[in-house]
Amino acid sequence: MTRIASVARARRQLRHFLVTAGTVALVATAAACSSSGSSAPGTNQTGSAAATGTVGGSLTVWVDSVRLPVAQAYAKAHPNVKLHIVTFDGDANGATTLQTKIQLWNRTGNGWPDIIFSEQVQDPVWMAQKPFDYAEPVTSLFPASMLSQWPAPSTAQCTVNGTQVCVQDNLAQVVLWYNKKLMDQFGYQVPTTWQQWAAIGQKVATEHPGYVVGSIGDSFSHWIYLWGNQCPLQQVQGTTVTINPTDSHCTEMASLLDPLIKNGSLPPLSVFSPDFAKKYGGPNSKVLMMPGPSWYGHDLFLSTLKTAPGQIAASMPLQWNSDPVTTGQVGGGPWIISRHSKNLATAADFVKWATTVFNPTGANARPGYPAYAPLAAVWVSRLAANPFFAADPSPALKAAASEIWKGWNLVTYPDQPVWANTVVTGLVAGKSLSSLLQPFGTALGQAAQAAGYQVSQ
Amino acid sequence: MSSTAVTPAPAAATRQRGRRGGGGPRKIRLPRGLPFIVPYLPFLIAFGVAPMLYALDLAFTSSGGGWVGFHNFIRTFDDYRFRPAFEHILWYTGIWLGSLIVLVVGLTLLLHGRANRVSTAFRFLFYLPGALAGAASVLVWLFMLDPAVSPASFLMHHLFGVQLFVQAIAPGKLPGVFAMIAFWTGAGGWIVVMYGALNTIPPDLEEAARIDGAGPVTIALRLKLPLIRKWIAYMAILSFATGTQLFVEPQLVDQASLGMVPDTWSSNQLAYQFAFRYADFNAAAAIAVDLLVIGVVAAVLIVTRTGLFRRED
Repeated sequence: MTRIASVARARRQLRHFLVTAGTVALVATAAACSSSGSSAPGTNQTGSAAATGTVGGSLTVWVDSVRLPVAQAYAKAHPNVKLHIVTFDGDANGATTLQTKIQLWNRTGNGWPDIIFSEQVQDPVWMAQKPFDYAEPVTSLFPASMLSQWPAPSTAQCTVNGTQVCVQDNLAQVVLWYNKKLMDQFGYQVPTTWQQWAAIGQKVATEHPGYVVGSIGDSFSHWIYLWGNQCPLQQVQGTTVTINPTDSHCTEMASLLDPLIKNGSLPPLSVFSPDFAKKYGGPNSKVLMMPGPSWYGHDLFLSTLKTAPGQIAASMPLQWNSDPVTTGQVGGGPWIISRHSKNLATAADFVKWATTVFNPTGANARPGYPAYAPLAAVWVSRLAANPFFAADPSPALKAAASEIWKGWNLVTYPDQPVWANTVVTGLVAGKSLSSLLQPFGTALGQAAQAAGYQVSQ
Repeated sequence: MSSTAVTPAPAAATRQRGRRGGGGPRKIRLPRGLPFIVPYLPFLIAFGVAPMLYALDLAFTSSGGGWVGFHNFIRTFDDYRFRPAFEHILWYTGIWLGSLIVLVVGLTLLLHGRANRVSTAFRFLFYLPGALAGAASVLVWLFMLDPAVSPASFLMHHLFGVQLFVQAIAPGKLPGVFAMIAFWTGAGGWIVVMYGALNTIPPDLEEAARIDGAGPVTIALRLKLPLIRKWIAYMAILSFATGTQLFVEPQLVDQASLGMVPDTWSSNQLAYQFAFRYADFNAAAAIAVDLLVIGVVAAVLIVTRTGLFRRED
C-alpha cells in the first residue's frame, strides 16, 4: 500500500503538468503565432508598375496535385525564374487549409506565397476581404483584352465588391454525361429534360436494377441538382444572402429525385468513394447516366471509374420541362495572386502562362475545360478526336459553358460540407430529400450568419 | 492522445522515494524534488503555463484588447454549434472512459494472472496499436471502417449491418467509433502501466490470500483491484482531459468523408474553426478555457472521491 500511495503521490505534479499542457495545446499555437502583432503589415505595391517589371527572380506557388504539371512546366520553360512549388490539398471539400495559413502569414507578417491555386471556387470571395486581405486585383496586372476572353459568368465569380481578384483556370459547367453503349443496349433515348431523365431512372430500376442515372452523395451534389434548377439557396445582395429552400424550384426537384433515391437509381454515394467504384465502376460500368461537371469526363470516368473507351458521351444540360436551359457548376478553380508579392510581374506572367498558354497533349493534358476561350477552342477540338469518348462531347460542353445559372452567388462560408452533413447523412439514413430541404436551409442560414451575413428567406 | 507521455513517472518516483528515507514533514520534501523537474520546467512554462495565461487573457478581452468580462463565453455558448459539440464530447468521453477503465483494468488483471511468457506476449500485442502515432493510427482506422477495404468487413456486415463507409460513420455511431479508435490507440500504454502497478503488490499478500482460500477471481477483485485503485483514478483524470480535447479523429474523418462529419463536431474543433476560419481568437480562447475548467473540475472530483492524494499509511 505504501509503495503505491507514494508513487501516486509522486505523480501528482506530473499529472498537473500533463493536464495543463494537454488542455492548452491548442492555444499554444495561438500564443506562438500572435506574439508579433495581430495586423498584417501590407507590402502592397502598385500593381501596374510592378507588373511591367522584368520576369525573373524567385516565385512561390501553391498548387493542388492536378495543377502540379502546370507549375513544373512553367519552371522548365522559364529557367530564369526560381520557382518554389508547394503542393497542398487544394483547400477542397470545405478544408480550412488556406484560411489557417493566410491567418498565420498575416499574423507573422511574412510567408505569403505569390500565387495560390484553389479548388474552391468561392475562396477568392473571402481572400479579397478582411481579415484575410490576400488577393491582389488582377485588372491592373493583365490587359483588358486578355481578361475579356473569360466568359462573363466566370469573370463575375472572380469579382468581389466590384473588383476582379482572380482568373479561373477552368470552367466546370454541368452537362449530362451518359454511357452511349448502355443506352443503345437498353434501347433508351438520351433525355433532354429532367422529367425524361427521371422516367428512365424509374424504368432502369425495374428493367435493369443495379444501374444508376446519377449520384447524390457528393458534398457538391446540390450544385448539380439544385443550382441547375434555379433553387435560390445562395443569392447575395450586399451582405444579405437569400436562402429559400421552400421555393418551388427546390421542392419540385426534390420531389422528382426522391423516387429515384428510393429505387436505387440515384444512390446517396460519393462518386469518388471506393464504395461507388466497387459497385458501379470498372470496364463494365453500371453508370448509365450522370449529370455532372465538365471534368467528370477525364477525372471520373477515365481516371476513377476506369470506364472502357468508346462508351462515354456528353449531352446538353437537362432542362425543367420546357423552361429555358440553365445549369449548375462544380468547380472552376481560380488562380489568386498575393497583394503581398514582391515579384508581381513574374507572378502575373506565371498566371498568364498557366491560363492562356499551357495546353499540352498526352498524360499532362488539362483535365478540365479551359476557362480562357482561345485555349478552350483548341482543347475541345482535341476532345472531339479523343478515342475515349463514344461521341464528341464538345458541343454539349461549349453550349453549357454559357448557361450556368447566374442566380447562385459565391459566399465566404463553405456550403458543401453543410450539404454533406445535413442532407447526405440523412439520405443514407433513409430520409427523403424533400424532408431534408428545410433542415438544410436552416443549417445554411446558421453558417451564413456565423460568417457575418444577414439571412433572408 | 497524450497518454503515452506517462512513462517517466515510475522512475522518478522510485528515485524520490529512495532519497526520502524515513520521510520528514511535507514542506521540506518538495524542494528536494525540484532538481528532477528542472529540465521540464522551462518547457512547462513556455508551452504550458504561458499559453494558458495568454488564453485566459484572450478569453476575457476583445480583439482590440479591451476587457469584456464573460462576453466571449456567453457569445460562444450561444453559438449554434456549441451545444452539439459539447454533447458529442460528453457521449464520446463517457463511452471511451467507461470502456477504458473497465477493459484496461480487466485485461490487465487477466494478464497478471497468466504465466509470465504469455502475459509478456499479450502485453506487447496490446501495446502495438498504440505504437502508431495518433494521426497515423486514425488513418489506419479509416480503412478499417470502410467495408470496401476493411479486413473486418464481415464483422461490419453481420454484426453492425454496415455495408458502406457512409453507414459506418453515420452521426449516431460517431461517438462510439471515435471511442473505439481512441481505445485501441491508447489502451496498450495503460495496460503496461497498470501491469506495472500490479507488480508493486507484494507477492506475500497474494500468497496469504491464497492460503486463506481465495481463488483467482477473488484475488483479482478483492485484493488486486483495491490496491491499484489510485492508479485507476490517475488514468481516469488524465484520460478525461485528453477525451474532452478530442480533435484528430473527427478532423481526419471529416476530411476523409468529404464533409460528412461536421468540422465542428468536437469542442476543440469548434475552437479551431473560431480561430482560423473566423479569425476570432478570443472566442477560441473562451472555449479552451471552458475545456480547462471542465478538466480541472473533473480532476478535483476524482481526486476527492478516490482519495488519490490521501495517505493511508
